[in-house]
Amino acid sequence: MKKYFNIAALALVAFTALSLGSCTNEIDEIFDEDAVARLAKAQAEYVDILTSNGGKWQLEYFANSDEPGYVYLMTFSTDGSVVVSGMNKWINIIDNPSAMGSAPAFGTATSLWDVIVDNGPVLTFNSYNKYFHLFADPYDVPGGSTGQVDSEDENESGYGHSGDYEFCIMKYSGDTLYLSGKKRGLNMIMTRVASTVDDRVYMNEVTAMADSFFHAKIPQVYINLPNDVRWIVKNGATSILKIFREGADEISTAENYNVIITHDGLSFMSPITLDGYTIQNFTRQADGSLLCRDDNQTTMTADDLSDIMASPRFVWKLSQGDLGGVYAQLLTQIVNEIKAYNSSTLQDVVLAYNTTAQSMAITFNVKRRTVTYKPTYYLTPNVIDETHIKFTLNPEGDSWAKSFEAQCPSIKEFATNMGSMTFELSANSLLAPVVMKLTDGSNFMVWKISEMI
Amino acid sequence: MKKIKYFISALLLVAVTAMTFSSCSEDKLGPTIFPDVDETLDPNSYTYKLDKFLKVNYLDKYNLTFLYKMPDISTNMNYNLVPAEYNNAIDLAVLCKHLWFDVYDKVAGEDFLKTYGPRIILLIGSPAINPNSGSEIVGLAEGGIKISLFKVNSMNISDFEQMNELYFHTMHHEFSHILHQTKTYPTEFNTISVGRYDANNWQYRGNEVTSLGFVTPYGSSEYREDFAETIACFIVYTDTQWNRLMELARRGYATSASDDDLDAVYYSYYYYPDNDAEQDLVYVDERFVVVVTDEDGTVHKYWRNNRDKDGNRIVVYDVIDKDGINGEEAILQKVQIARQWFRDAWNIDLDSLRSEVQTRQATYDINQLRLMVSDIQ
Repeated sequence: MKKYFNIAALALVAFTALSLGSCTNEIDEIFDEDAVARLAKAQAEYVDILTSNGGKWQLEYFANSDEPGYVYLMTFSTDGSVVVSGMNKWINIIDNPSAMGSAPAFGTATSLWDVIVDNGPVLTFNSYNKYFHLFADPYDVPGGSTGQVDSEDENESGYGHSGDYEFCIMKYSGDTLYLSGKKRGLNMIMTRVASTVDDRVYMNEVTAMADSFFHAKIPQVYINLPNDVRWIVKNGATSILKIFREGADEISTAENYNVIITHDGLSFMSPITLDGYTIQNFTRQADGSLLCRDDNQTTMTADDLSDIMASPRFVWKLSQGDLGGVYAQLLTQIVNEIKAYNSSTLQDVVLAYNTTAQSMAITFNVKRRTVTYKPTYYLTPNVIDETHIKFTLNPEGDSWAKSFEAQCPSIKEFATNMGSMTFELSANSLLAPVVMKLTDGSNFMVWKISEMI
Repeated sequence: MKKIKYFISALLLVAVTAMTFSSCSEDKLGPTIFPDVDETLDPNSYTYKLDKFLKVNYLDKYNLTFLYKMPDISTNMNYNLVPAEYNNAIDLAVLCKHLWFDVYDKVAGEDFLKTYGPRIILLIGSPAINPNSGSEIVGLAEGGIKISLFKVNSMNISDFEQMNELYFHTMHHEFSHILHQTKTYPTEFNTISVGRYDANNWQYRGNEVTSLGFVTPYGSSEYREDFAETIACFIVYTDTQWNRLMELARRGYATSASDDDLDAVYYSYYYYPDNDAEQDLVYVDERFVVVVTDEDGTVHKYWRNNRDKDGNRIVVYDVIDKDGINGEEAILQKVQIARQWFRDAWNIDLDSLRSEVQTRQATYDINQLRLMVSDIQ
């Protein structure tokens, strides 16, 4: 009996405590408003952000992790329309299906947009824009991921590029919207652009930027980490960078990373970590190199200019209009001397490795009717430091050089001067130094890479 | 003792109940947490004219939401789909009205579609492609409520056959589903082609299905699709197209491959190399058959641009129909059942419906129809 009273008493106390607890209204609110109200507020705020100050934004778009990223300009209007502009090879293929190729083409079209409420605010491009939704279309991709008609073409029907056209808005900070593709989850950013920007001009500048970064004639460049370790970067011109540590085995250690080239620099689709350093975004510097803005230390450059100039891999051609001091004077004399000698003309001047002589050589290609004479002198490059080089001349020259020596002495004098000076090197870009200027005081020459050996 | 137990239990029950109720007594429903959504159309909106047209002609009239700005949550997320192009959406909006809603209004009365019509029409720019089979979904009717039209971005307004195949056909096909999901059709229909359906491999079939009594390969997939396809084809096919279908249905078909070969191609003509019947016959596609009619009415069929070693035209023969099925008769039986069902279940004359659609299909001017949107102020 007593036992039952005890149980009853205990139960009463427990239920009373629980019941009273459930009545308390003093639960701390985490948010001031309920979720729906906050979502509606965020929706309105993002519409305002997108359309204010002219409403022009740059989207750094990634469709998947196997393709480069593509820049799009988007101008959002309060009437629900958006003008989308892009410049890439896929636009070229859309507009010129019969002329499939890799050359980028500009395209601009108007469609619709909205910020809808989903699992949070979502930016949606909810009517078809042929220059943007092409990455979400499920059709087979013409020419595969390369867009080349002669490439190995897989059937991507049902998938296409697998790109998103709806984006969860993750946050807004410093005129940058951080987005996440709703279906694929790839992170992307949109940054505000001045409303006065002309879309076509801007996209042309982006394309020119891409061309300035990587050059097919400079097959590898380097990521220079703060710990003085270099990682080799290949395939830069494809925007799918093949990266491996210098000294490591390329085949077993190289990884591919897709990047986007923007108006200001280059970004990896996701942060990558090399030797413990995490990097993603690079800004183009005045010297053409790239500086990582995540750590402000890591750079991306090609080999030292002096190593490139001394390399036996390149064939350099003298830019005859870019000479100064004694070189300008000597070249004029050469032209006059060979004309007077046998009515010849100077075709070009080439600096390249001569495999027969196993030495660097400067060759003056002199043409008379259908015959080309090639007076050649041999120069041995000596690297002094990263930006200085000196050549040692073998004054003998080849048989053609000897035959021209008496009537056209300026040819030898040109080579002699090259062998007597210490040149300071500067290039169009430290990442793609295909145009090199050799300067010694007021004397200078400009050489351009014409081909690789 | 037992009484005391009951007493304690009852006491507990009363106490708990009282406290539980009292703990809930102060919970009162507050105002809705959902914000008021202003449904007023904004005259400054880029899409105002279309939105106004859709409101007046679909929402207000039929309680139907015409979705052209694709909400992907309304689609099957397993497929990769894209939205419809805005200008194409305008064209489909006016064509749906002209070739579908206005037709039913005229033939079946204005209340018919208000009662039985779909509540949502969803436009999708791309097809739903199954990457494994390569098949494409070009239309869906879901639960009698929603009709989805796909491939809107591929539409070519000047290509009547494509428009018919992708949209008008699909509209009537999907609406047929809605109708038979509301009032079932006679099961007699299912017996006509019983045993000849192939739900898994219909996409590998070709014109030979007509000889089996189907209007399209998709119709040969299952009863319900057969029913919807029969109605849709009957309504939208021109007389020329329908007569052609009947002609195909009367033919015999054969293949040189195994019947089990999914890639087997079936032909309705064959010839003998060099007109030599001793040689093995060769099947030939009808596109390469030339029909010549003599002055006395005799019909000859030849293999186009080919002659035997003596310079004579090579004679082409009809494949003998050995399937034991009168395809034309089967199709016409199905049409008759559908005709009767329309009359009995819906009080609609299917032939009048077809006639009205045919007249409108043959005479509509898209520029004139577009004015319904562009003239809105």
